[in-house]
Amino acid sequence: MQTGLNRTKWEPYLWLLPSLLLIAIFVVFPILIVFKLSFSEISKAGVIGGFVGFQNYVEAVKLPAFKTVMLNTLWWVLSVVGISTVLGFVIAMVLNQKFHGRKIARSILVFPWATSLVVQASVWNYIIKYEYGSLNNVLLNLGVIKQAINWRSSYQIEFIWECGVGIFVTVPFVAFCVLAGLQSIDGSLYEAATMDGAGFWGKLRNVTLPLVRPALTVSTVLNIIYVFNSFPIVYTMTKGAPAHKTDTMIAYLYMLSFYERKKGPATALSVIGFLILCACAGLYMMTVMRKEEEQ
Amino acid sequence: MKNPELRAQNRRALVFLLLGLALAAVLASLPLFHFSAVVYTKKSPNTFVGDATYQSVKAEVEALAESYREQGLEVSLDEEVIERVNSKGETTSLVSFSLNESFGKNLWSFLGKGIPSSLAALGIVLGLSLSAVFAMLGLRGSAELPVRYLDRRSRMLRNAACVSALLALLLVPVLLMMNNYAFTRQLSLYGADLLQDGREQVYARMDRFLFAGTLGENASKTLSGLQYSASGMSWLLLAAALITLLAAVQLRYGWIKGPVLRALMYAFVVVVCLVTLYPYYVMLITGFRSNAETLDMYFLHMFPTKWIWSNLTDIVHRGVPRYLLNSLLVAGGATGVAMLCGIPAAYAMARMSFRGKKAFLGFVIMSQMFSPVVLLIGISQLMNTLHLNDTVFGLMMINAAFNQAFAIWLLRGTFVAISPEMEQAAMIDGCGTLGALTRVLIPMATPGIVTALIFVFINAWNEYTISTVLISTNANRPITVGITQFSSFNMIEWQYLFAASLLATIPVVILFMSIEKHLAAGLTSGGVKG
Repeated sequence: MQTGLNRTKWEPYLWLLPSLLLIAIFVVFPILIVFKLSFSEISKAGVIGGFVGFQNYVEAVKLPAFKTVMLNTLWWVLSVVGISTVLGFVIAMVLNQKFHGRKIARSILVFPWATSLVVQASVWNYIIKYEYGSLNNVLLNLGVIKQAINWRSSYQIEFIWECGVGIFVTVPFVAFCVLAGLQSIDGSLYEAATMDGAGFWGKLRNVTLPLVRPALTVSTVLNIIYVFNSFPIVYTMTKGAPAHKTDTMIAYLYMLSFYERKKGPATALSVIGFLILCACAGLYMMTVMRKEEEQ
Repeated sequence: MKNPELRAQNRRALVFLLLGLALAAVLASLPLFHFSAVVYTKKSPNTFVGDATYQSVKAEVEALAESYREQGLEVSLDEEVIERVNSKGETTSLVSFSLNESFGKNLWSFLGKGIPSSLAALGIVLGLSLSAVFAMLGLRGSAELPVRYLDRRSRMLRNAACVSALLALLLVPVLLMMNNYAFTRQLSLYGADLLQDGREQVYARMDRFLFAGTLGENASKTLSGLQYSASGMSWLLLAAALITLLAAVQLRYGWIKGPVLRALMYAFVVVVCLVTLYPYYVMLITGFRSNAETLDMYFLHMFPTKWIWSNLTDIVHRGVPRYLLNSLLVAGGATGVAMLCGIPAAYAMARMSFRGKKAFLGFVIMSQMFSPVVLLIGISQLMNTLHLNDTVFGLMMINAAFNQAFAIWLLRGTFVAISPEMEQAAMIDGCGTLGALTRVLIPMATPGIVTALIFVFINAWNEYTISTVLISTNANRPITVGITQFSSFNMIEWQYLFAASLLATIPVVILFMSIEKHLAAGLTSGGVKG
C-alpha cells in the first residue's frame, strides 16, 4: 500500500520530468543558442563562423538607431505600464461598486484582453487613417470636427498612438487583477474605517491600497514584461518607420534579424534584452518569494 | 416628521430649477443657429479689377445690396477674381460678385417642422417645462417632508421632474449634432455650382429643406452657398438644462452629491465601454462594407449602406478556413501538451515536498518572463536543427512550452486550494498516486483546470510573432498570420482583413468571458498560496 508518506525519493522528479523537458528544449535551449550566436561571427547569409568576442555587441551599440530605439523602449514601457496601471485601478474601483449592468461592463472589458494584438493593431491602424479612417468619419458625422484631422502627422504622434493602443490592450489585465484583489477585501475593514471617521481618501490609502498591493505588484511586473516584449503593435502600425524612429527594442530586433539581415548585432541585442528581462524577472521573483514567506 | 427648515431648502431648489428654465428660455430666443447663403451672383467676364466695367458692375451689385439692406436683411458683398492666360498668351480676367446673406434662427423656429432636429428641439423645450411643472406639483403639500417620508404621488412626480430634465439635457447635444449633420455634412455633398436663381426661390427651397426635410429638385443649385454654424452660446443650453436637472435631483433625493457621483460613475462606465467596443464596431462594419466604401473619404454613414455578405464567401476562397483550422490545431495541440506536462508538475508542486522545489518554481517563473521574441533567432535555429521549421507541430510545441509557466502557475493554485484529505483516503483505499490524481483531484479541480486550459488555448490562438518567423508555407499559417495577407504593402483590403479578424476574434472573446472571473484571481494569488 502506497501513501503520501513512503514515496520513493525520485518520484517527485518523475512528475516534473515532462514539464522540465518541454521547457528545457523549447525555452532554455534557444537561450543558449542566442548566447552562443551573440559571440559568433554570422555572415549576411546566416552562416555561423567562429568566436568573435564582443564584436557583435560593439556593432549593436554602434548602430545609428540604437539610442533612439532604447529611449523609445523606455518611454514605451513607462508610459504604457504607468498609465494602464492608474487607469486599470480606477476602472477596477468602479467595477467593484454595485450597479446595474456591472456584469455587462465586465464582459465588455474582457474584449481587448482576449483579442489578438495583430487584430487590435490593424483595427487602430484603420481607425486613425487620415484619408478614410473611421475616427475622422465618426467625428465628422457627429459634427465634433468640421474637417478631417490628420491623426498621424508626425512620427512622434504615431508613436503616441502606438502607446495608446498599448494602453488600450493592457488596461483590462490590470483592472481584472486589481478587481480580484479588491473583491478579496473583507467588507468589515471598511466599516471599521468608517467608524474611525475615515473618508474616501483615507479608506483608499489605509485599507484599499495596502490590501491590493500584492495584486498590483504582480500585475505591474507582469505588465512590464509583456509590454517590453510586445511586438505586433509597433510592427503592424508603423514597422518602426521612419528610420526606426518609432521602433521599440523588440520590433527593431525583429527587423534587424529578419529584414536587414544583420543577425550578429541582432543576437547581441537579444542578449541585452534577455538580461534586462532577467533583471525584471529577478525583481518579480523577489516579490513573489517574499509574499510566499509572509503567508 | 414635518420639518419647517425643509420648506426653505426645497423652495431654494425650486428657484434654481426655474432659473435654469428661464435661462434656457432666454437662450432659445436668441439667434444661436447661423445660416448664410449666397442670394445673388453676377459674373462679369473680360473685367479687370479697377477698370470701367468693374466699376459699373460693382455699383450695380452694391445698389442691389443696399436695397436688400433697406428691407432689413444682413447682406455682404464678396468678389472673386479669376485670372487666366488663354491660348494666345493674353491674360483674361473674370470678376464674380456675390451677395451673401446671413441670418440667425432661434430654437423656437425649429419647432413644429418636419425634420429630426425639430423633434429634438421640442424634446428640450417640453422636457424643461415639464420638469418645472412636475417639480411644483410634487412639492405641493409635501414641501416640509423629508424625502424618505414622501407619499407615492409626490415621489413619482419628483422622479418625473428628474427624468424630464435629464431628457432635455441629453437632447441638447443631440440637437446640435443633428443640425450639424443635416446642414453642414449633407449640404457639403452638393456641388459648388454658383447660385443662379433669385432670392425668393432660394428661400423657398431652403425653407423646404430646413423645415420640411426634403431637398426638392435642383437642390444642388439653390443650396450650394448655404452654410451653417452654431454659436458657441448654444452650448450654454447644456448648462441651463444641467441647472434644472441638479435642482430636480436635489428635490427628489434631498441631496446632490450621492446621485451626482453615481451618475458620474455610470457616465464613466458608459464611456469606458464605448471606447472599448469602438474597435469592434469598426471591425464589424468595415468587414461588411464594399471595398469602395472602406476607402471613401466622404463616407457619410456610420453603418454600411449595404451589408456585403459576400465578403465572407470571398475570404473563404482566400484560405481563411485553412488558417482557422491551423490555429485550431496549434492552439488545441499546445493546450493538450501544456496540460499533459503541466498537471503532473503542478501536482508535484502542490502535494509533494522535495529538494529543489523552490528552484523549480523559480525556473518556471523565469521561463514565463521570456517572450519568444527575444529568443526568436534561437528558436528558429533550434527548429531548423529539429526539422520542425515551417510545421504546425513545431509551432504547437513552442506554444506549449511558453505557456507551461502559466499552466503550472494556475493549476498549482487550484490544487493547493483543494484539501488533500480526499486523495489520501483514496490512496488508503488502494489507489496509486496516479489514480488519486486522475480519479479524485482532477474531477474536483475541474473549474481551475478549465480556466488554465482556456487561457493557454487563447494565448496560443492569438500568438503571432513566432508564427510569422517559423511558418513560410501558406497552407501552414495560423489565422493571425493569415489575415496579414490582406494588408500587403501597396494594397490593403480592409473589408477582408476585418471580416477574417472577426472570425478570429469572436470565438476567443466568448471563451475568455467564461473564465475571466477565475483567471484574474488565479493569476494574482493562485500561484503563491500555501
